[in-house]
Amino acid sequence: MKTIAVIFGGKSAEHDVSIITAHTPIIDSLLASGQFDVWPVYITKEGTWYADKAMNDIGFFKDPDYETNLAKQKPVRLSFEKGLDLVWSGVLSKSVHIDVVFPSMHGTYGEDGSLMGVLRMAGVPFVGCDIFASAVAMDKVLTKQVVAAEGMPVVPYAWFTRADWAKGKDSLLAKIKALRAPYFVKPVHLGSSIGIAKVKNDKELENAIEVALHYDDKVLVEESIEPLLEITLPIMGNDEPRTAECERPLNKTEFFDFSDKYLSGGKGGKKGGGSGVNTQYSEVPANIGDEMTKKIKDLGVRVYKTLGCTGIARVDFLVNADTNDVYVNEVNTLPGSLYHHNWKKAGVSNMELVLELVNLAEERFAATSNTTYTFQSDILKKVGGSKTQS
Amino acid sequence: MNHWFSRRHPRYVRSLVYMLQASEYNIADFFKWHERTRDFRTVEKRKRLVFTPKAIALFMAGWAALGLSLILAVLIFSNASSFWGYLLAFAILFETPLIILLTLIAAVFILGLLQRPVEWFMVARARKRLAAHHGVKIAIAGSFGKTSTREILKTVLSEGKKVAAPADSHNTPLGIARFVQGLKGDENILIFELGEYYPGDVRKLARTVGPDWGIVTGVNEAHLEKFRTLERTADTIFELAENVDATRLYVNGESPLALARAKEGNIIYTREGAGAWNVVEARTSLSGTTFTISDGKRTIEGTSGLLGLHMLLPLALAADIASRLGLSGDEIRRGLEKTRPFAHRLQPMHWADGVTFLDDSYNGNPDGVRAVIAFLASLPGRKFYVTPGLVEAGPRLREVHEQIGAQIAEAGIEKVALIRNSVTPHVENGLKKAGFKGDILWYEDMPACLSALRALALPGDVILVQNDWPDQYA
Repeated sequence: MKTIAVIFGGKSAEHDVSIITAHTPIIDSLLASGQFDVWPVYITKEGTWYADKAMNDIGFFKDPDYETNLAKQKPVRLSFEKGLDLVWSGVLSKSVHIDVVFPSMHGTYGEDGSLMGVLRMAGVPFVGCDIFASAVAMDKVLTKQVVAAEGMPVVPYAWFTRADWAKGKDSLLAKIKALRAPYFVKPVHLGSSIGIAKVKNDKELENAIEVALHYDDKVLVEESIEPLLEITLPIMGNDEPRTAECERPLNKTEFFDFSDKYLSGGKGGKKGGGSGVNTQYSEVPANIGDEMTKKIKDLGVRVYKTLGCTGIARVDFLVNADTNDVYVNEVNTLPGSLYHHNWKKAGVSNMELVLELVNLAEERFAATSNTTYTFQSDILKKVGGSKTQS
Repeated sequence: MNHWFSRRHPRYVRSLVYMLQASEYNIADFFKWHERTRDFRTVEKRKRLVFTPKAIALFMAGWAALGLSLILAVLIFSNASSFWGYLLAFAILFETPLIILLTLIAAVFILGLLQRPVEWFMVARARKRLAAHHGVKIAIAGSFGKTSTREILKTVLSEGKKVAAPADSHNTPLGIARFVQGLKGDENILIFELGEYYPGDVRKLARTVGPDWGIVTGVNEAHLEKFRTLERTADTIFELAENVDATRLYVNGESPLALARAKEGNIIYTREGAGAWNVVEARTSLSGTTFTISDGKRTIEGTSGLLGLHMLLPLALAADIASRLGLSGDEIRRGLEKTRPFAHRLQPMHWADGVTFLDDSYNGNPDGVRAVIAFLASLPGRKFYVTPGLVEAGPRLREVHEQIGAQIAEAGIEKVALIRNSVTPHVENGLKKAGFKGDILWYEDMPACLSALRALALPGDVILVQNDWPDQYA
């Protein structure tokens, strides 16, 4: 039986969402498959790592005193000596060798490539996008720049850092006003719609930028497409990606915020078999016609490949409902709860989804193992020796 | 080692009392369970110990045995002057679990002896009260379907009459006596379930109740482990016929073993009708059952929340009894309309992700299984059939389970999830012999199975859980 570590939590605004994703569907499906020894690895908001099988039950985190309970436990350390080992040091030290890792961290330090870097150093297969795709997708501006460079459509935008804003607010506002109002203001590195605002006038614009800069040091301001149709598309695979269904969020508020995504499920009658994220907020498959569906799916796969995504990702699009113009909006390399509600509609059960992602991780790891990263050189011998000039 | 340690765990006393209670204080059943158990810390899986006066007395006796054993061991040890003294102290300490076990068995016997005159007195008083009660008494006997029939009758008859029936499955002399104690005397109709565990049980209960009407819901292999033969099972169930006028006894015409015992004058009921009432144009789906029922003078467009065409039997029966007891056509229609699935008896649940879960975990008899497989086969979508098999099938265990496998295969169910135990390999054999083309999935226990199916299910799937073994069989 393989040992798999599911890593979640972390120093991120999406810490709690990460706990939900880790359990539904990841840990639940891994346990239900009976094929894995599942080790939940939880990173606190302060950055301390813990691993305890009691955390395989999401009820552990529903206990209001869970942080106090955790503090009584021995933190876990990582050892890279022979791949990846979880180590509890002390008099009664213990270690568990990890065969595969399933990262389930949204946002900073997890989804942004940081965790992937650690796992690459450890030499352990891990699920989902690698460091490069994760880092690019984490930055909404960088994503637009890469996608646009490949000739794919993006909405006109402006961007700046906190330092830029402090130094030249007026010139930045002038630059923004060259765009067509209304605008969307977005922190560049955050997901789950945190800190995003739609603004219609100058006063709202400045406030929204201040809010966005509170969460991030880089801000994106882009034109709002009107009338807007948002479409999101989950994609899975390595070299031959497959798409799930086009999904249209059914906005309750003027734009689709964190509450809509994760907290507005009360009246949907969520019972056993619930999803972890609200299943009532979207239309799956989106009723946009076969032609538009195909166009978006083809574009989604192009974006996925351009960014070098592997495992799973979700590509978001903005569609002008009048002109049917499609724009690539952003890429999310760990969709909340893996968007399993959408995959189910596409005929992929939670267990099939999770097991396939583990297979893809191992497949990519095996392929990477064939790559040669070193070569013999005598450069060290020459250090300090006599220099020759040709 | 788990077995050894768990017998010396503080939980052992509680576990033994729970096992006695769940075995209905039947020492033979209790010992069989005790022999099978490897870890006494985890016997309360599906239910919990109910602290009845009897359970409290046993609980205290168990702890007293534990305390006294330890004190005795310490006293002998501290006063020991020879090797044999020390050995005795250690022997008592080592065998404390055995002392607790024997104490509890002795306590069960003593309580049984003390209980017998109390029970006799209570039953005699109940019999007297019932004889004086003016309400119509209906008694239900049979290997299966007693509780569903009782609840359907109660729902339909309550539209025009004041009806009372013991709650849950209170079908023992003491359960019925307690129920009678709480009657007000103004009830129009009283409905009783007569439980059968040993020959003579139904006769004893029928004499206590003195029924005006009787219903035999059917005879099959349920409880065959106790009766050993179907003949003896039928004999016991038809003890009801000795206490009811032949023209007032309903017999399930779809149960061959019951039908074979029916006598002239008995009212045979099937899904096509009961007594004067005929059922036509019946349809069933996940949202309920619709049908037309007519007695020649009145025609009712019947609807019910109950699932499956097999539910037409008790529905037709209820319509006939209701009309004989004076309910109007409108009252019967309203009563039928109010019938709903009962907890754990083909009870539908619709998950948010579009999966339908059918909880039929209290249906553990071959006739019920056959009916439910037929219902499942009639539904659209991919179907999962989950079962740990049936208990108490006795000498016909292999045959009964192979038949279930064959029925699933013939019904074309796509996925069968089996819980690993001594009987499910027979279901697998039945499936294979019948050329089953779907997938067979194996799980160690029901919770693991349900978690896996939850992760495997897709929108539109139907998952049916057929039977769940009580703790004493698991």
